[in-house]
Amino acid sequence: MDILFSGALLIFSVYCFILVGTTSPAPTPTELGAAFWPRIILFFLIVLTIVNLYNILKNAKQEKKDAKALFADLNLKAFVRSKLFVGMILVAAMALLYSKIGFIPVSFLFLFSYGLLIGAKQKGKLVLFSLVITAIIYVLFQGALKIMLARGIGPFRSFALFTESLLMF
Amino acid sequence: MFKLLVMGLKIVLTPSTFLLIAAGTILGTVFGAMPGVSAAMAVALCLPFAYAMNPVVAIAFMSSVYCAAITGGGITAILFKIPGTPSNAPTTFDGYPMAQRGEAGKALGYSLIASAVGGQLAALAMALVTPQLANIGLKFGPSELFAVAFLGLSVLSYLDSDKMVKTLISGLLGLFLACVGMDPMLGVPRFTWGNSTLLSGIEMIPIMIGLFAVTEVLKETQDRSKLEALDTKSDGKMATVLPSFLELWKTKWTMLRSSTLGTIVGILPGAGATIASFLSYAIEKKVGKNAKDLGTGIPDGIVASECANNAATAGSMVPLLSLGIPGGNAAAIMLTALVVKGVQLGPILMKTQPRYMAAVFGSMFLTNIIMVIVSMLIAKIFAKILGVPYYILGPVIIMLATIGSYALANNTGDVVLMATAGIIGYAFVKLGYNPAALVLGLVLGQMCESNFRRAYTLTNGNMKAVFARPITAVIVLICVAMLLTPLFKSLVGKKKA
Repeated sequence: MDILFSGALLIFSVYCFILVGTTSPAPTPTELGAAFWPRIILFFLIVLTIVNLYNILKNAKQEKKDAKALFADLNLKAFVRSKLFVGMILVAAMALLYSKIGFIPVSFLFLFSYGLLIGAKQKGKLVLFSLVITAIIYVLFQGALKIMLARGIGPFRSFALFTESLLMF
Repeated sequence: MFKLLVMGLKIVLTPSTFLLIAAGTILGTVFGAMPGVSAAMAVALCLPFAYAMNPVVAIAFMSSVYCAAITGGGITAILFKIPGTPSNAPTTFDGYPMAQRGEAGKALGYSLIASAVGGQLAALAMALVTPQLANIGLKFGPSELFAVAFLGLSVLSYLDSDKMVKTLISGLLGLFLACVGMDPMLGVPRFTWGNSTLLSGIEMIPIMIGLFAVTEVLKETQDRSKLEALDTKSDGKMATVLPSFLELWKTKWTMLRSSTLGTIVGILPGAGATIASFLSYAIEKKVGKNAKDLGTGIPDGIVASECANNAATAGSMVPLLSLGIPGGNAAAIMLTALVVKGVQLGPILMKTQPRYMAAVFGSMFLTNIIMVIVSMLIAKIFAKILGVPYYILGPVIIMLATIGSYALANNTGDVVLMATAGIIGYAFVKLGYNPAALVLGLVLGQMCESNFRRAYTLTNGNMKAVFARPITAVIVLICVAMLLTPLFKSLVGKKKA
């Protein structure tokens, strides 16, 4: 896995090094230019990534690993079936849906689904907990502290505006 | 000098002011302990109350809120690995592992006492040498500020000496992320690929929350045994035993070092509590007695971070009151409140109305005492949450992290950024890279670049002149020595072998 990450990082760093040079105006005698600082960082990043790749290959050679062994920890099938992957999908879905359906539905759905994922046994109880916690967080942040929470769009926005009108604060 | 301190204590010990400061301390601690409510936001939330007060009491009240919010942020950093404010992020490195070992009470005790000591020492330093401190602050131009930021970066090689290459790569990635968005000098977009959200740059807080809080929940989603252990170990009962005097005495040098550093960094305009705590933690990693064990859950890490960030809050009041320059967002909000009240801040204020400075000293002094009691009570309530089963607590942590990221600018892009940082952060940690180094790079990146380029422009493109200023030269020499020491050590080690 590390070798893949380092390889991708190396390609990305080289690409960015070239990109920033072509998209930034040329430096003047008294101004270093927009590309100067990122290029210094990317230069060291490229050098160190090469060193890291060299270390990985050197260690593999010492441990007498073949090319197949280098990618042995990359078991895609098992990863996709793991709770971790589902958890990542849930977090990503929550983040993407946050602007679309707003805080209240997202919070309820996320608390319920993630709770199920990590071992909640009684679904009815979990539904209740998800509802109560969503309500507490909503009243505390949106109501008492006046911290904006996402409203969503369309009917979700109307629903959020309605609930806001119910808040006494 | 002592006259100022006595005057300050007289102001804050007036019954009505005392009660307001106590209320400010409670509010500040509660707000600070809430993810998504930064110290600046806590001060802003209390602003309506301050408008109704007389200006001297108002500044004392707001100082107490600011100071307590920074301390309150340490509570969630230790218990849930969610830094309440960005300056509490280094507290998670040792505080959270201690809480995981069942030593949450002790970790909180160290955090609170260290905060109080840092705040007291900084308040005392302010009371005694404010004019001198303000003058030192004024001597720090762009080249000196670059050197300070570089000093922070130079300790990257000490963060994890076993995986130095990966730690340096992590730090450089953080520095790279700080380059995304508009260039600070010319306004040229960099690495935005036409995306308007990226134009304003990558926000530090969503990345930090994602890397610390979301990654942690994902880790525990995968590691069932750890989940079960957590559920049985923490049943909501937290030992609130404070560290003994002897235990605290063992961290005396860390406290002194971090408080001094925090005060100095706090005085520098544009630096602030976040940089102070990271810098202090990094320096502790270099010179601390238990440097090797830092990050495994030892008190020194908590003390270094909490002492420095609280000392910086007091330090940031020096440029605000004596020069009229706000050191950070919270100070800027206080400045607004005072200006609305008709107070003219700046060098004349110290001479004509020393009551303002005195009120701040007094308030900080008092707040740091009340805070220990208040925070311990609040920590007890928060610790009850540890007894909640993880299938409820885990998702709640992610929802609070979401609110914290969104509340920054009401931008759903920040929520996506937080989730991305959490997911990528998991792989990052699993592969042995260092999230703390990445955050350090991200925190110091812009300060480093903008000051370096500004210094270069001010010297008309004379690179030698940038480094020729005495303070800069000394700090840069220290940085070079720090960077070369591990290399030298490894060379000597190889020769001996």
